[in-house]
Amino acid sequence: MHNCNCENPLVPQIVEIVKIIDETPDVKTFHVRNENGVPFDVRPGQLAMVSLLPVGEGMFSVSWQEEKEHLQFAIRRVGLMTDELHSVGVGHKIGVRGPYGNGFPVEACQGKDMLFIAGGIGLAPLRSFIKYCLKHRSDYGKIQVLYGARSYADLCFKDELFDLWPKEKDTEVFTTLDRPEEGWDGHVGLIPSYLEELNPAPEGKVAVICGPPIMIKFALKSLEKMGYNDEQVITTLEMRMKCGIGKCGRCNIGSEYICLDGPVFNLAQLRKLPPEW
Amino acid sequence: MKVLNKNKLPAVFDKLAQQSELFVPLQKKEQSGFYSWKSFDQASDQLALDLLNVYLPPKQVLLPQTEKMYSFRQEEGGVAISEVYEESQARVIFGIRACDLQAINCLDQAFLTRGFVDEYYKARRDNTTIVASACYKPGANCFCSSMGVDPLEPAGADAIIRDTGSEFFIWEARTPAGEELSRQLAEYLEEKELPLPQSQAFERQVDMEGVAEKLSQVFSSPLWEELSDACQTCGICTYLCPSCYCFDIQVKNQGEAGYRFRCWDSCMYGEYTMMAGGHNPRASATERFRNRFLHKLEFFNERYGMPLCTGCGRCIIACPAGIDISKIITAAKEADWSA
Repeated sequence: MHNCNCENPLVPQIVEIVKIIDETPDVKTFHVRNENGVPFDVRPGQLAMVSLLPVGEGMFSVSWQEEKEHLQFAIRRVGLMTDELHSVGVGHKIGVRGPYGNGFPVEACQGKDMLFIAGGIGLAPLRSFIKYCLKHRSDYGKIQVLYGARSYADLCFKDELFDLWPKEKDTEVFTTLDRPEEGWDGHVGLIPSYLEELNPAPEGKVAVICGPPIMIKFALKSLEKMGYNDEQVITTLEMRMKCGIGKCGRCNIGSEYICLDGPVFNLAQLRKLPPEW
Repeated sequence: MKVLNKNKLPAVFDKLAQQSELFVPLQKKEQSGFYSWKSFDQASDQLALDLLNVYLPPKQVLLPQTEKMYSFRQEEGGVAISEVYEESQARVIFGIRACDLQAINCLDQAFLTRGFVDEYYKARRDNTTIVASACYKPGANCFCSSMGVDPLEPAGADAIIRDTGSEFFIWEARTPAGEELSRQLAEYLEEKELPLPQSQAFERQVDMEGVAEKLSQVFSSPLWEELSDACQTCGICTYLCPSCYCFDIQVKNQGEAGYRFRCWDSCMYGEYTMMAGGHNPRASATERFRNRFLHKLEFFNERYGMPLCTGCGRCIIACPAGIDISKIITAAKEADWSA
């Protein structure tokens, strides 16, 4: 039995799936741990490579580290590996390696009002930052979450969204669906237009965005229109990754590697890079 | 000075191969490259120390085209990692040219710096001794001197051989590891004063001055369409490049067991950046072509302070579409990049 391989960053550690939560028809949250708890500590916004050993690996943002107990990954079923992962049950052993990437600038945002903007599975990485802010509530000002999906069923983390987060001090959650739906009396429309409708003032705020590339592009335009400057806007990007340690080559945007120098960039940094994100 | 009689090379190689895996430039029928001396077949192979350049680069010595990373076993109650394959056997590369050695210096940057160390690469690299051969007669497609490489002083060599044109190589140890080789080979080395060979001029030259900076300003130029027009995205340039290092990680199952392996990949293939779910940030041939040349000439420079092209000329020779990186460099300076 080969034990933990912290020495070799490309070799995973074995963890057990201890809980699975069905978030949406194609998203599940997996809680994983080894006999000692978390395999490694993760900062909000960092990534880890999840391995189904006989099948493949994929890079995911860690959507939360629960103390020293377990790591949570909210994973959408989109390809071979995730398809297989969605078919396994509690008790299944998988590999994880990491943590990778820079994570969110949680310290630099202290004292700021936080505006989180997410689409679909894009809430998974932001959730780690949102929960961090709520856990350290007095370090942050007002917290606003704007979240949208194609349909009600496609909204992730419903209990937090509708029940837990709105109860927190000075915290607002705005939810929108792309299309009208029977039984939904909330907002209907795309995220960028809802954002402009809400028009949160840029003073003292940091906006954090994650979602499909097209949504990010339009939401960035809206923020710019609303007077947010490039330093105030943070996003977390995604590209295909194989190694996670800046060696395998494919996740570059210009001379930066998303797995190493990212995935979190502010807009000022991104504007210096080639427009390939 | 120390000299080595060429007719003693087979004995020298036999001696080195006793303690290390020795890689030398060989011509094997239609193919040439750096092969294990153990594979030398007197009937069909020839030593190719004079060949500029052997067709296959020596990168596979440190970064095999396919390598096992670790194996796993599925068992009652889960899965276990059974073995991690870090190869630390001693290796000697003999007769590498300055361009290919500079490519290894590039690999060192990519694999050993910037936060993470690639343990597989490191295990080989730490145990590799390099004897470089100084180049006095550049080939028609060579342009290493334009890429900041000194062909007479291969940077990073443990020892250097210089072909005097007579029956002797001059032998110079450059590092403690090179001195160790001198000790091992003492019985074959003689003391003799010989004149250094005359070096000849390069036919092919480019001017890299300001190229990285210029390229950083023309990312969105329509000229990339034109430059990439002939490219078939076959990837041969990336496979033959001594400094291209991108890899893929895949899995092989053998019943209840299996192993992860990595293998060379190419930025010229669409799958390289294709994400699960179908989004592909570099879906077109032009985007991939542009990324490759910018990686070589701009991005790697920005990140590591050296270009990722060492002027070996292999991609120029091999490209079926006639694409020539030295012309791209010239275009960077002289072409009209405006829309």
